[in-house]
Amino acid sequence: MARIGVFVCHCGENIARTVDVARVTEEARSLSGVVYACDYRYVCSDPGQKLIRNAIREKGLTGIVVAACSPLMHETTFRRASAAAGLNPYRVEMANIREHCSWVHQDREAATAKASEVIRILVEKVKRARPLQPIRVPITRRALLIGGGIAGIQAAVDLANSGYKVTLVERTPTIGGNMARLSETFPTLDCSQCILTPRMVEVSRHPNVELLTYSEVEEVTGYVGNFKVKILRKPRYVREDLCTACNDCVPVCPVSVPNEFDRGLSWRKAIYIPFPQAVPAVYTLDEKTCLGLNPLACEKCAQACLPKAIDFDQKPQIIERDVGSIIVATGYELFPAEQAREYGWGVHADVVDGLEFERMLSASGPTNGEVRRPSDKRVPKNVVFIQCVGSRDPARGVPYCSKICCMYTAKHALLYKHKVHDGNATVFYMDIRAGGKGFEEFVQRVMEEERVLYIRGRVSRVIPLNGKMLVQGVDTLSNQKVEIRADLVVLATAMISSPQNGLASKLRIVADEQGFFKEAHPKLRPVETLTSGVFLAGAAQAPKDILETVAQASGAASKTLELFSQGEIEREPTVAHVNEATCVACFDCRRVCPFGAIEAKEIRDKQGRLIRTVACVNEAVCSGCGACTVACRNHSMDLLGYSDEEIFSEVLALA
Amino acid sequence: MKEQTEQKTKIAAFVCNWCSYAGADAAGTSRLQYDDSVWIVRFPCTGRIDPLFIIKAFEQGVDGVLVSGCHPGDCHYATGNLFARRRFTIFRTLMLFLGLDERRLQFSWVSAAEGAKWASVVNTVAGAVKELNGEPFTWAIPMPLRGAIGASDGEAVQTLRENIKAIEQTHRFTFGDQMIETREAAMTEELRLRAKQLLEAGEVNAVLGYANGTLPRTAIPLFALSLEATDQLVWNRHCRTNLAVYLARPLVRKLGKLAVVVKPCDAKAVLGLLQEHQVQRENVHLIGMACTGVEERGAIAPKCLSCTQRMPDLFDTKIGTAQEQPATRGNPIDETVRLLDNASPQERWNFWQEEFSRCIRCYACRAVCPFCYCETCITDKHRPQWITPSARSEGTMAWNIVRAAHLAGRCVGCNECARVCPANIRLDLLNRKIALEIKNEFDYEAGQSVESAPPLVAYRPDDSQEFIR
Repeated sequence: MARIGVFVCHCGENIARTVDVARVTEEARSLSGVVYACDYRYVCSDPGQKLIRNAIREKGLTGIVVAACSPLMHETTFRRASAAAGLNPYRVEMANIREHCSWVHQDREAATAKASEVIRILVEKVKRARPLQPIRVPITRRALLIGGGIAGIQAAVDLANSGYKVTLVERTPTIGGNMARLSETFPTLDCSQCILTPRMVEVSRHPNVELLTYSEVEEVTGYVGNFKVKILRKPRYVREDLCTACNDCVPVCPVSVPNEFDRGLSWRKAIYIPFPQAVPAVYTLDEKTCLGLNPLACEKCAQACLPKAIDFDQKPQIIERDVGSIIVATGYELFPAEQAREYGWGVHADVVDGLEFERMLSASGPTNGEVRRPSDKRVPKNVVFIQCVGSRDPARGVPYCSKICCMYTAKHALLYKHKVHDGNATVFYMDIRAGGKGFEEFVQRVMEEERVLYIRGRVSRVIPLNGKMLVQGVDTLSNQKVEIRADLVVLATAMISSPQNGLASKLRIVADEQGFFKEAHPKLRPVETLTSGVFLAGAAQAPKDILETVAQASGAASKTLELFSQGEIEREPTVAHVNEATCVACFDCRRVCPFGAIEAKEIRDKQGRLIRTVACVNEAVCSGCGACTVACRNHSMDLLGYSDEEIFSEVLALA
Repeated sequence: MKEQTEQKTKIAAFVCNWCSYAGADAAGTSRLQYDDSVWIVRFPCTGRIDPLFIIKAFEQGVDGVLVSGCHPGDCHYATGNLFARRRFTIFRTLMLFLGLDERRLQFSWVSAAEGAKWASVVNTVAGAVKELNGEPFTWAIPMPLRGAIGASDGEAVQTLRENIKAIEQTHRFTFGDQMIETREAAMTEELRLRAKQLLEAGEVNAVLGYANGTLPRTAIPLFALSLEATDQLVWNRHCRTNLAVYLARPLVRKLGKLAVVVKPCDAKAVLGLLQEHQVQRENVHLIGMACTGVEERGAIAPKCLSCTQRMPDLFDTKIGTAQEQPATRGNPIDETVRLLDNASPQERWNFWQEEFSRCIRCYACRAVCPFCYCETCITDKHRPQWITPSARSEGTMAWNIVRAAHLAGRCVGCNECARVCPANIRLDLLNRKIALEIKNEFDYEAGQSVESAPPLVAYRPDDSQEFIR
């Protein structure tokens, strides 16, 4: 027999002003199954909770209804209080007679009647509530990092230094990502490579880090603490263990192709290393451009290689890893500037995007750090920077602000002025967004000390004119047309998400319309995803600068550490479960499950013969939404905590 | 006290925990005053709200139901509300087709921040339901029906029935084909031969087909397990039963590989069973019959009049050659659906109440439906008892709604349910109405492809939601 206790809260005057608390308590006491009812000024206070604990012990209550505020406010409070007195916390219900009653109705009679009914409905529910125990799941203490840019490197170092194993998977031949391309970083003007390469080396030498470059995540199964990952190792046709990075293979290679790392501003061979400090320091044979991989036709590199590191017979290889958490740090790409046709990128050599200009500024870049325009290698004396190319332009599919362009344009202008003392720099901008430590000061310095001309307005088009680029724009502050004859035009192109090749569905996480991965909560859970055990770091989530990326990477690492520090994961027991006796295995439940929590289970007899297949819920993955319960036509699926019986009894109690 | 509440308008609000419940909290926090006739039941997600709860609430005597959840894109579980949106699109269509006033069943998206919207939604819904209070609303009319429907209403239903009858009469055609019996005999021979071959070669363990029934102009199912038994197989226009119904039965599964005789509509049902993992393709050999329609009550069955398919989409063996296609001779079922659509909600409501009042809960409709393969049906469940099992009016109402709702997006229109109903309840109209709506809303037709997901366990982010506030 159910022994239910009802506790009616006055909430000071908040409830008691409109609801006749005494009468409600009196009526609750007369409900079937209710053995105790009382009212109190503040049930959530310490004495109020003590009242509950004592009643549970003294009256031997099997369930309680607290008629007070919203469960979203105090359900946890009262569950804890009940657990402390030995009552299963899932046998606690809250009747919301404040937000849903006393605060929204004025008629005392009606509000009192409604409060009584709400209590009656929940008493019926709690009578049928089953005691539930938290679900515990063991965990594998190894993390998978997808993406070897600064986000992945930072998170890997944090985790490895904490003593946990890390597998770092990078799609390209080297780690370092976009940051390795940068010249100097705003606002402090640290040399990007000088701060990044030590980290790259650290991560590659760390005994806890397994570095898999030129690899991609192929398949992810399993769930938090227990993921199984298949990783595709693309053949680089150079054995990592033998290559000494001596460069002997490069001069003999007859094929030259544009170097992606320099954004096509320089050339590389079919066998190459993206940049001298690449990690791992191993060459890669580009199978798309190599002259004769199959059948062997050239072989010049193999002949030149003394350690015999070149292996034309390498095949794609799939390796498997068990990991407990996954951090997605796949970074960003630049908006394809050719889409902004009016600026002529890709048509005129002297219109470059932000990363191309970074390479031109970089000491290790194609011009060794001298600013020389691509067309005739002359030092440009007049440079125009155009901000918001793509960004804040819904017509081009990028409605958001890319956040970093104001700052990197200011930095570009400053570095340019430092390198070309007699040069003129002009910046076209929409707004200057320089929120960040030292950011505004930096922009002011560029404007005032470096004498960079900032024009508020848009550029309508860029056209070539006598070896120069004629930039036609408007100054919206003075309302005048502006024309500048520039030697070089630099576009501050938007950050867009990198192509994810189905990664979102592999990981069962959500990507927004722009392809950025969606966090679990935009404010309070910014590094988590809705798939537990999968975390986000860096620009894969949204446009970010290095500082924020590193902070988020450390955040994702610490979320992983939080997970790893527990012996087992404890999860809410409000999960779905299957009545195997009636399940007919249509698997409509699997089709609606957003978490991939439903598997097929085979029931076999003692001889091992298959009797039938049924659906089975993986409790470690189920998040308790209940979609499967409705998809199940004969209700073989039920949801603990919101079971058919419980809700049914509420509905029956409605009238 | 009790009398007081009975007079009072009562609306059940089924809301999700994360958005609309919190939205209602927000209304409270802002002290927005709203109508006091709404009772909130908390669900984790709109995806958890089974239409059965709505039926149950109406059964309990609530005057209206409001379902509210997160705006698309805001779902705490990413996609729960998107599945719910589809399910309620169809459930609402069904309920309105039954004649429920649309003001009694309403839907809204209210986010956790939209306290003001919650208050206004509640006021609007409560206001609309209160407008109806003058009109009689009994969820399930107790039997005997006569007397419960007012005289003028009864007249309206009478007119409706006469119009339906007229549609039936205009579409009554007999098989005028002189050659039909010769052709049937030839196909029977071909079928027997093929069945023998299959059994002899050990390709199948049994052949499921038809034999002559004990009464003239009937055919009964036959499992031919031996070579001799194949001589009893027949093929003619009386082979009405959709044999796909047997394929998912445990005893039949035990037979192993089975050859089954299918008409085009039966083959669609097999395809549906493949889609729902009830049949393994390698375990069935489909003997596709060239079909010119079946006979019902001495005339061409209504479902066959609009059908232009002469060979199944899916078969392993073909018997007979597809005859020249007769032009469709109208579509009496769709015409009747349209007729009901054009009737007033009250007329529809009375019509269906009258239909359902004849239901004796024999479950023949369930027994012949290939998609009613659950070994334990929802009506057989006792904890909780969703649907009262005896032929009591509210249980009958619930059963007929649930049957139609559970077939949504799955029914291939073989119309066996309506044919076998001893009370002649027009179940085919319910199925057809839903199928039309699904075609219209989700561009989906049942029985077309094994790979595609059934429409109610799928969603598109841009599914229409005009009915949601």
